Amino acid sequence: MDAALEDRHASCIVPATLIDRIGVAYAKLVDDLWLTFLTAEMAEAEAAGTPLVLPEHAHWRWTRKVEPTVHLLPYPTLAIECEGQPQGLMTLKTDGETARLPDEQGKPLVYVVFLASAPWNLPAVVARPRFRGVGTTLLRAAIETSLDLGFKGRIGLHSLPKAETFYARSGMTALGRDQKKENLEYFEMTSVQATAFIR
Amino acid sequence: MAGKRTMTLNLTEAEMTALEHLSTEKDMSKTAVLRQALRLYQVISTRMQTGERLFFEDDIAKEKKELVVL
Repeated sequence: MDAALEDRHASCIVPATLIDRIGVAYAKLVDDLWLTFLTAEMAEAEAAGTPLVLPEHAHWRWTRKVEPTVHLLPYPTLAIECEGQPQGLMTLKTDGETARLPDEQGKPLVYVVFLASAPWNLPAVVARPRFRGVGTTLLRAAIETSLDLGFKGRIGLHSLPKAETFYARSGMTALGRDQKKENLEYFEMTSVQATAFIR
Repeated sequence: MAGKRTMTLNLTEAEMTALEHLSTEKDMSKTAVLRQALRLYQVISTRMQTGERLFFEDDIAKEKKELVVL
């Protein structure tokens, strides 16, 4: 599926591709590429005497996340690719999750299990991040999956601390810390919020 | 999203009534209910093939009943 990202180095919008289900080989490629990049950045920062603060999801291994569920319909892992490289990944859970917001309580939603951008796109890792819009594009894909499944665009997720501002800015409602999920903030998007987001 | 293929589905009156009831209850189209059912069936079937079993647990009565899936 066609998408677009902002190339911050070239200051222009460039075409990207959204892959709606990746396999284990692709997940392994992502692990290899992203870890190699992070390791090099860490070494460089160490040498410069300014140790890198790793992204909160630096320990995620996509191969381990994708492998157990690769053939199961409810748990797709999507990727956004640009210039032949994976720029971001997102795993969804499309069964058994329901809305918590009072007006939508009990209605099915798509739950975003994991969402991450490539390390070269993160301001915390590099001084000049490459592509902007990875998170927004993946969030839009989650909403479109929700619409496609008849869930009216409803999505939910637990946010890593440093991503909370992004989800709040995206129009999601924060429902408080969830003690059952490592005390992470739980966010939800209603069908109305989803419509506003993709407009 | 991925390309879709169309099929005709023949349901009995009772099956259609059940589908319509679920569609209303879940606030989903009939197609969405059936697609969700397929997803659920695939997950259950895959997990049972690896030796896992499916139970309903009644918290109050402290009873567990196994659900047998074809």
